[in-house]
Amino acid sequence: MSPRLRLALLILAGLAILPGAAHVIGALPPFGHPVAVYGQSVNALLPELRHVSNMVTAINFDVRGFDTVGEEFMLLAAVAGTVLLLRGGRGEDRVDVGGRIGGRPVSPRSDAVVLLCRICGPFTFIFGVYVALHATVTPGGGFQGGVVIASALLLIYIGEGYGRWRQLVRVPVLDAVEGAGALLFVAAGLLPVAMGLAFLTNVLPLGTLGDMMSGGLMLVENAGVTLAVAGGFATVLIEFMEETRATDSETGPEDGE
Amino acid sequence: MSVLPWVVAAWLFGAGVYGIVTSRNYVHLIGCLTVCQSAVYVLLLGLGYVQGSGPPIFYDHPPGTAAVDPVVQALVLTDIVVGAVVSALLLALAVQVHKRQGTLDPQEIKPLQGQ
Repeated sequence: MSPRLRLALLILAGLAILPGAAHVIGALPPFGHPVAVYGQSVNALLPELRHVSNMVTAINFDVRGFDTVGEEFMLLAAVAGTVLLLRGGRGEDRVDVGGRIGGRPVSPRSDAVVLLCRICGPFTFIFGVYVALHATVTPGGGFQGGVVIASALLLIYIGEGYGRWRQLVRVPVLDAVEGAGALLFVAAGLLPVAMGLAFLTNVLPLGTLGDMMSGGLMLVENAGVTLAVAGGFATVLIEFMEETRATDSETGPEDGE
Repeated sequence: MSVLPWVVAAWLFGAGVYGIVTSRNYVHLIGCLTVCQSAVYVLLLGLGYVQGSGPPIFYDHPPGTAAVDPVVQALVLTDIVVGAVVSALLLALAVQVHKRQGTLDPQEIKPLQGQ
């Protein structure tokens, strides 16, 4: 299909949905005056009911906790799919040597980059843990914290080089972390079921409002999400890195300092 | 001013769809898809905004103060994370396509054949 034909089809489709779209746009609430009461009820009730100050976390892990289980498994499925697709073409073999394109010189990393990454990497990691731990109190949570932790791993790669990075970050550990995260979330959901209550009922002590250890079962679910997101993103990172590596016959000497 | 968020969302979505339709490279196409996704984030956050209110986090200000809708924020939050991994999945598909066909142009890709 030529781009011209595709564009013509797009214009036709746009004309077809135009009446419906115009109707919906006309019915949008004025900006700043939403009509939905669900969110406002959550704001009014949940600090009292769940002793948490971050409403976004309260929705993700308590009132709409079941949806988050689904999202968690979407994440898991997408990571598994990425791994399958990439490994399917490459095979299971993996070495701790960086990718090399023949004839292109490998320029060493500058000292400034190494220094900056050695300073920033650990702090980024700690910041990620901090963001994840304070899920129920301040802006943050497992999803954000997990991504920050995974980006700290990327900083270690930039600072230390591929070989060292692969010595530090082990694939079986990442797989275990990711799987354990999802398992922890589901286990947290099944704990109330074992006690004869509904799935994901908040059965643990709720703590005090504004305390890091508030929210009861939300903390366990949040820890599960943190592990799954950090493990998942790091796994995706490693699989794409492995793609840049040349096949065994083409690899040069160790990507050294 | 009050229609600006909707205009931004519509503009982002339109730009993304135009990019997808006219794309000559799968990596570019996946980038356009994420632009479409950002339009949804802008729309959702705009829908949840309440005039003159703060964030739905009652740490500095006590519970009961006016706050924006936290439901749409939770939706956007999980969508960003899942969307990033789905983009990775699509890019992995693009890598495989390039390995098998030697091109990333949607027009040059031949139909799949049994092997």
